[in-house]
Amino acid sequence: MAKIELINVSKRFGKTTALKNVTLEIQDKEFFVLFGPAGAGKTTILNNIAGIQIPEEGMVRIGDEVVNQVDPADRNVAMVFENYALYPHMTVYDNIASPLRSPRYKKFKDNKAQNEAYIKEAVHKVAAMMKIDKLLERLPSQLSNGQRQRVALGRALVREPNVFLMDEPLAHLDAKLRNAMRSELKEMQTAFGTTSIYVTHDFMEAMSLANRIAVINLGEIIQVGTSDEIYYMPRNEFVAQLMGDPEINLLECTLVREDGSSLCWAECPEQLIPMPKHEELEERTEGMEQIHVGLRPQNVHYHFEKVPGAFTGNVYSFETIGNKSVLTVQVGDQHLRVIAPNGLPVKLDQEIFVTMEIDRAIFFDAGTTEYIGRFDEAAVKELVAEQAKEA
Amino acid sequence: MSPTAKKRLYAVLKNGGLAIYSVFALFPLLWMVILTFKSDAEMLTTTFVFTPTLDNYKQVLFYTDYFRYIKDSVIVAGGAVLVSVLAGVPAAYAFARYEFKNKEKIAFQILSFKFAPEILVVLPLYMIYQKLGLYDSYLGLIWVYQLISMPLIIWVVRGYFEDISVEIEHAAQVDGYNWYQVFLKFLLPLIKPGLVSSALLCFIFAWNSFTFPLLLAGIKIEPITVAATKYLAQSTVHYGQMAVAATISALPSIIFAICIQKHLVRGLSFGAVKG
Repeated sequence: MAKIELINVSKRFGKTTALKNVTLEIQDKEFFVLFGPAGAGKTTILNNIAGIQIPEEGMVRIGDEVVNQVDPADRNVAMVFENYALYPHMTVYDNIASPLRSPRYKKFKDNKAQNEAYIKEAVHKVAAMMKIDKLLERLPSQLSNGQRQRVALGRALVREPNVFLMDEPLAHLDAKLRNAMRSELKEMQTAFGTTSIYVTHDFMEAMSLANRIAVINLGEIIQVGTSDEIYYMPRNEFVAQLMGDPEINLLECTLVREDGSSLCWAECPEQLIPMPKHEELEERTEGMEQIHVGLRPQNVHYHFEKVPGAFTGNVYSFETIGNKSVLTVQVGDQHLRVIAPNGLPVKLDQEIFVTMEIDRAIFFDAGTTEYIGRFDEAAVKELVAEQAKEA
Repeated sequence: MSPTAKKRLYAVLKNGGLAIYSVFALFPLLWMVILTFKSDAEMLTTTFVFTPTLDNYKQVLFYTDYFRYIKDSVIVAGGAVLVSVLAGVPAAYAFARYEFKNKEKIAFQILSFKFAPEILVVLPLYMIYQKLGLYDSYLGLIWVYQLISMPLIIWVVRGYFEDISVEIEHAAQVDGYNWYQVFLKFLLPLIKPGLVSSALLCFIFAWNSFTFPLLLAGIKIEPITVAATKYLAQSTVHYGQMAVAATISALPSIIFAICIQKHLVRGLSFGAVKG
């Protein structure tokens, strides 16, 4: 149980830079998620915390101790590897027992029988939790991927480490098991109260598990915050696009100002969208001509008949994704994704009308793609503050 | 032809072929063993019908330095394999895990030691050994045998290390084992099939080696392959005694080969992590 800190950590492999000046502070007992696309450097961060890799620059601290020079074996971290990294020549039982048999983490250093008795109890407890208690005599090669993943989790959970490092531990499970394990993991973490760092590229996993999320891209931390902070106030368009499925709609708009200074109209595809008056936003967009308006698909609505303020478009595609469908509407030369119920009677290229909840939109700088603001920013901030108070 | 008849014909042909091959493969051995039981008088006059005698065995085992030759063979072949394993396994690990300059070139260079015919390199080596004082010494033979055994061990074991995902090492480290414990407890069991089969193969190669010991040793140290030629005396040839020497010296190779036959094929053809 400990606080983890990375201070200005940089890691290079030959000429490629895997991490650039990463600074992170993970609180004791926190469930912290590292989220980002493939190759972002998430696993490298875990490896640097575990001591498998040593950063070229910067400091890694576990608790109050600088561990740059400490061997992985002495850092007291437990790690779940993405490819499981089970020992192929050992049974499931021996795999899970391995940390408890190691010279470093043995409970009873002088009494082998006592140690084995303790191991037996611990392994069975974990195996029952992971629902692999019937597989203890098998070799990893005789297991399915989902079972292997649970063995790998079991091997980490059997210990009482400073921190759990989990590298996409649910990636290879089938959907049903993944959901079950997700809630179980969260529960376990709350029960154990062990600091956990969890790597994923699945935003649902990130949002549902995390106390806080760090979004990473190309070896840099883009944003750190709670799920809601990141979802409602993404630092830039990249984060906005990563969080949410179907992806956020980004419309290129020109700001049209009326009455001299006040921001009130935005010219989206050849039509003006009236915007509520908002002084702070007006200030932040001062002098800007082009902005990008981010609208989540659930904040765009389709209509079969012309309603006031609606944009006219054509049905571009209609895909069903489970319990809902994504309707893509072409408006001008832009595509808008809209959430629709399954079985909506639409034909391709059919004329359709869309309205946008502009008060739920997120505005981005068209040049830098950085976050500008949103109309209900105050409400979002209040929500986040309230959550922080609860936690 | 009905399918059953076809199957039967196939079985007959297959087994017939195997039978012919086994005669072809085993007859020389059998012939050698038969020779060991013949007296010199019957050597050239009889084929399968003769009066068996153990004289040749007595002569070879009790009246010559046979056991000294065997001892020499064991020391040089065993020593060579031991050195190859001790130096080759870490080298193989380095080739598998680390990136360094000219890695593939060095690896190929090591393999290329096996390319040159022994007879081609043995004469310069003879001169060098004379100068260095390695001639006719255990150390000298063990050293030169590295040409035979080291490349094989490095290349086979390297493949095994490459098959073990590096995360397994990391996992073991995180589990609380230091590097040596990781190696002994997690890596060694995984490379064992390859290591054992290549080491045994090396032992057989080193044991059977003739050119190197013939020219680089032979006075104080005489491995059995070289010593066996002694039975070709100046005027007489004791075929029976030679056959005894050859038969007994072939025994270790044959016994090893039979014992590890299964593992040999698997060890050299499969990777470390089957799954």
